[in-house]
Amino acid sequence: MQSTTTRRLLGGLITLMALITLWGCNRETKPETDKATGEQRPAFLQIGAFSINRISPTRTEVRDGAGRTLILIPRAAPMPTDCNPNQVVRVPVQRVVAYGDFDIATLRALGVLETLVGVTRSEERWYIPEIKRGMESGKIVYLGDASSIDFERLKQQQPELVLTWDPSIIPLLDQLHIPTVITTTPQAMCLNARMRFVQFLAPFYHKEKEADAFFARIDAALRDIRARTAGVAHQPKVMWGDVYEKRVMVEPGNAWVGELVGLAQSDYQFEDVFGTSCIEITVERFLYSGQDADIFFTYRTGAMGATSKAALAKLNPLIKNIGPLQRGRVYAPLPHYTQSADKLDEILTEISAILHPEVYPGYRLRYFVELPDIDPVAAKETSHDRI
Amino acid sequence: MTRLLSLLWHKLGSINLTVALCLLLTVDLVLGYFCLNRHTSFFIPLNDMGLIPWMQTYGINNLLFTGWFFLLLMLLAGLAVNTFACTTSRVIQLLRARGPGGRQRLALKLAPHIMHYGLIVILAGYLCSYLCTEVLTSSTLAPGTHLSLPGTGGQVSLLAFEPEYYLGERLAFWKGEVITPNARLLLSDGVSPREAMLSVNQPVRFQGYSFHLINFAPKSPGGMKMKTRIDLHIRKDPGVGLYLAGMMLFTLGLIFYVYEWIVYREAHK
Repeated sequence: MQSTTTRRLLGGLITLMALITLWGCNRETKPETDKATGEQRPAFLQIGAFSINRISPTRTEVRDGAGRTLILIPRAAPMPTDCNPNQVVRVPVQRVVAYGDFDIATLRALGVLETLVGVTRSEERWYIPEIKRGMESGKIVYLGDASSIDFERLKQQQPELVLTWDPSIIPLLDQLHIPTVITTTPQAMCLNARMRFVQFLAPFYHKEKEADAFFARIDAALRDIRARTAGVAHQPKVMWGDVYEKRVMVEPGNAWVGELVGLAQSDYQFEDVFGTSCIEITVERFLYSGQDADIFFTYRTGAMGATSKAALAKLNPLIKNIGPLQRGRVYAPLPHYTQSADKLDEILTEISAILHPEVYPGYRLRYFVELPDIDPVAAKETSHDRI
Repeated sequence: MTRLLSLLWHKLGSINLTVALCLLLTVDLVLGYFCLNRHTSFFIPLNDMGLIPWMQTYGINNLLFTGWFFLLLMLLAGLAVNTFACTTSRVIQLLRARGPGGRQRLALKLAPHIMHYGLIVILAGYLCSYLCTEVLTSSTLAPGTHLSLPGTGGQVSLLAFEPEYYLGERLAFWKGEVITPNARLLLSDGVSPREAMLSVNQPVRFQGYSFHLINFAPKSPGGMKMKTRIDLHIRKDPGVGLYLAGMMLFTLGLIFYVYEWIVYREAHK
């Protein structure tokens, strides 16, 4: 009698577990209809460490990269009383200061770059025409280097929002009553989060439609990469990072580049490394992984000394024997690469073309450059010597 | 009706149910290990947003990976009810039977049951924490800045960041890195300000709130030029008292149990 009851009980609980699992498989987020446009949007959307929670048509709560909650309300709405006013953002935002190139490129992808009023990079270091023009006209101002912002100048620009990776400015901005969004996360952004980050910034501007279109474009590029590289015979071994004077930094396996390399039928040498973007590892690990690597993406641009394999080896004699420098290929980003995240589809395609040139015949690089064995000048001198 | 209730009570306190629940808990926690390991980002917000809002957002939207947690709650609730029914039945029996040795012996015989009640209080404390904790997430302080505690007149300022660096030679990777990030805080309630030292695993308590250091900068004197800051989680957790009380109850039961073991069982061997 007792064993029958227990068996029934166990059976009931196991059935419950199975039902919960099945329900989870089939469940989709309950959409909410936007009254203004009539579009349906998910009430809750998670993008890596970021999230958007549409509480009501007049209140959206977003969670930023530091886990802080910000409340988005319409511009004309009364200030809510149940939260810190410094964490309330009136949308659509009309004046924004942004620290990171990625944030600015995302604003460009949303088509709201005209709201940018302050940056932390001087005019000559910009490759985005709208920003160059804005700085020339004085609409966009250089606020100083990210580590030494001129807060007086920032205040004069009257931003309604600051997008930054630096939480240390939050107390000062709180005093100025300017809401801050931390756009970086403690762990590197995965490929999905990188593609969807535009959807996180979209509610700040009511640009959800544009964000969805952007995401669809990147998704299509990714599908194309998958299809093209599906049958490749050779899987190159890839490393992404660099050795500096005292530190060795790489992209971890959980970062979008690590995922992309895997997705494009290649082996990422730091797949087992987990953590923040540009994470520090030991030089021994870097050299070990470099032994049999085929392709090396360096963080350095030409201006930072990445002009040839020989130049890199001269900068870091330690790495002169790694596979890519000896017999493989080395790529350096072009100066505009970090400011081109609004062309993420092109960047993903280009990385795939670098990994598998055989399935991208005639592809011309636009964001990276393949380093020659020796600098052109040195090569010229060598040929002169021969003569 | 009384017979039905009695039967239900008996079934709820059944040891077979305990075994079944423990087996299911094991299976569920194995599932949970894999879900947590691969999808940590779904569960991190549970630390600060509370159980109900988490269930309504991250939980319900990712049921494939969070379903085990919902089931865990149900199983733990079942285990708590089962433990309560089983323990209470036994306690009633003991109180009725009494037996030789007077009150002291009776108290010692209750030792395992005190521990069981302690476990239920601990579980209730955790549930209370997840349901009722008020968390001010990622409050950042730079030297000289302050923040106000809502609902109180209290203010917290960062006086100085006084980290200890690794100066040894054995771990070259840690050389020059911060190993103990000490932050000197000024806690003002408007009457008598006092200083307190905050560090990792060394929270500070003030006006019903606890302050936990979750991040800091700079991590080393060299490297990137990061400005000095500390990131805090500030919590008002009513569950702490409950699970401390549960732990005390459990410890008391354990002491009784060991005492009885030494004085009576070993002595009469």
